[in-house]
Amino acid sequence: MTQTITPEVVPERAAGASIGETTDLLVSPRRVRSRGARVRNVLLAIWLPIALLVIWWFASASSTSPFFPPLSRILEEFWAQWIVGPASMQLGSSLRNLALGYLGGALIGIVFGTLLWRFPPVRHVSNPLIYFLYVLPAPALLPAMIALFGIGELRQIALISFGAIWPTLLNTLDGMRGLDQVKFDTARAMKLSPLRQLFSLVLPGASPQIAAGLRASLQTSIILMVVTEMVAAKQGIGYFILQAQTVFAITSMWTGILMLAIIGTAANYLFVGVERIVLRWYYRSRALTNS
Amino acid sequence: MNALSRRSFRWLAPAAAVLATLLLWQLVTAGGLFRADQFPTMTDTMIALGKAVATPPYWAAIGATVQAWFLGLVIASVLAITIGSALAFNDFAFRSAASVIEIFKAIPAIAILPLVILVLGSTLPMKVFLIAFGVFWPLVIQVIYGVRSMDPTVLDTSKALGVRGVRRFFMVVIPSASPYIATGLRIASASALILAVVSELVGGASGIGRNILQAQNGGTAAYPVMYAYIITAGLIGIILTGAFFLLERNVMHWHESQRNIRSNSEGALK
Repeated sequence: MTQTITPEVVPERAAGASIGETTDLLVSPRRVRSRGARVRNVLLAIWLPIALLVIWWFASASSTSPFFPPLSRILEEFWAQWIVGPASMQLGSSLRNLALGYLGGALIGIVFGTLLWRFPPVRHVSNPLIYFLYVLPAPALLPAMIALFGIGELRQIALISFGAIWPTLLNTLDGMRGLDQVKFDTARAMKLSPLRQLFSLVLPGASPQIAAGLRASLQTSIILMVVTEMVAAKQGIGYFILQAQTVFAITSMWTGILMLAIIGTAANYLFVGVERIVLRWYYRSRALTNS
Repeated sequence: MNALSRRSFRWLAPAAAVLATLLLWQLVTAGGLFRADQFPTMTDTMIALGKAVATPPYWAAIGATVQAWFLGLVIASVLAITIGSALAFNDFAFRSAASVIEIFKAIPAIAILPLVILVLGSTLPMKVFLIAFGVFWPLVIQVIYGVRSMDPTVLDTSKALGVRGVRRFFMVVIPSASPYIATGLRIASASALILAVVSELVGGASGIGRNILQAQNGGTAAYPVMYAYIITAGLIGIILTGAFFLLERNVMHWHESQRNIRSNSEGALK
């Protein structure tokens, strides 16, 4: 296995073609000139979600199926549980674990990805091990971690971090390996110190792909947050959902699912927002070459 | 370094690293850093793995996991490719559906796991549905971008040549989008395996995940078996992901991102 490992990346990003994710496309690349066109775009983006919600509302209004309660009841229950009720405590614990686990794993991923890039022999030797850890489905480790450490928040955070490391690490490594050699020649000609090279050439150059890795890590982290709570915790949203299912409180379970959907979407938009600010130079240069 | 020793380094060093890791495992467990009720020794685990490999339940568990992975992935890909191409050709439909797809993609698939268990039980259809649901959204995005990134000249040429309908779909559209689809499939393959394991761990459907959990519940004596199944899960991951990785490399060898990496790694070896 001499070929180094897979980028968890949409190749178009690395290739710098004019493609991002849907959100990007909805928000900006084509500069919207007139106000009318902007309104039209927003309408185009939101009419279908709203229509689906309305359909859900009316289709479920007279539902007698135990599994699919009326949307109105779900929303009432959501308010009672998550906004003014006891479940908001679960939310805090989940979000804290997610944030700590994700940030920890992402940091480890970037640091070790950079180290592996800098030291090719180490990369070469550790390649099969890293590949194994990357493809090992992280939830499979959960029972082992329970056996090793018991149940607790620190273990949850550790497992989330563990899963978050690999997509970021591999993308960091890959983004750096994809850098143009000419840039290094230029840096040498300019007599940049290695540290200076790292911060003004390597990290910025690889950042679009690092961002793609960070996004994949974020998704893994959310999955692991829920799984750890379902299997190995006494609190959190996953615990709440599974508990509600066990006692057949279907409406409560739906509110948990709704909450997770909100968290997932919010995390995604937060990520895109931060990415746009940090990588503004990149999008700008891309827009220039495309026009 | 001469050519021979370089070649042997290329193969021997990673193998040596794997061996060293296994040895280290044996040392820390046999040496008493971990007790046997925490972390079994490497030899015990390998013996357990060897014993398990000889039994039919081991292969049944692998079969159950891989079957769900395969069915979920096939259903999701067929849906994603047809729906994705349809959306990509119609700007209104694409811009309307984009936000819906983005929202569904952001919902972690396991959120609906308890609901799916209630409706379908701890069965194969439950696993397949969960996998197909989780994998479909990212995949459909890849397909849409793949089709939309198609060179308009190619489409015009195919029109001028009178290639249309189903034939154009299979001979022009799909090949043009194939690098995107290949990447999407590789990512989908990894998440499908994760979802299969989760549906077995949490949902109690038969497969590797359930066997891991059962071994953990079986007490200290069964811990080597648990690690044997964890290793098995990793090996399955290697085979499945590796297959898609090779596929992607072969389909995409002309692609800019791959070229750069390849020329750099060749340069590094010289």
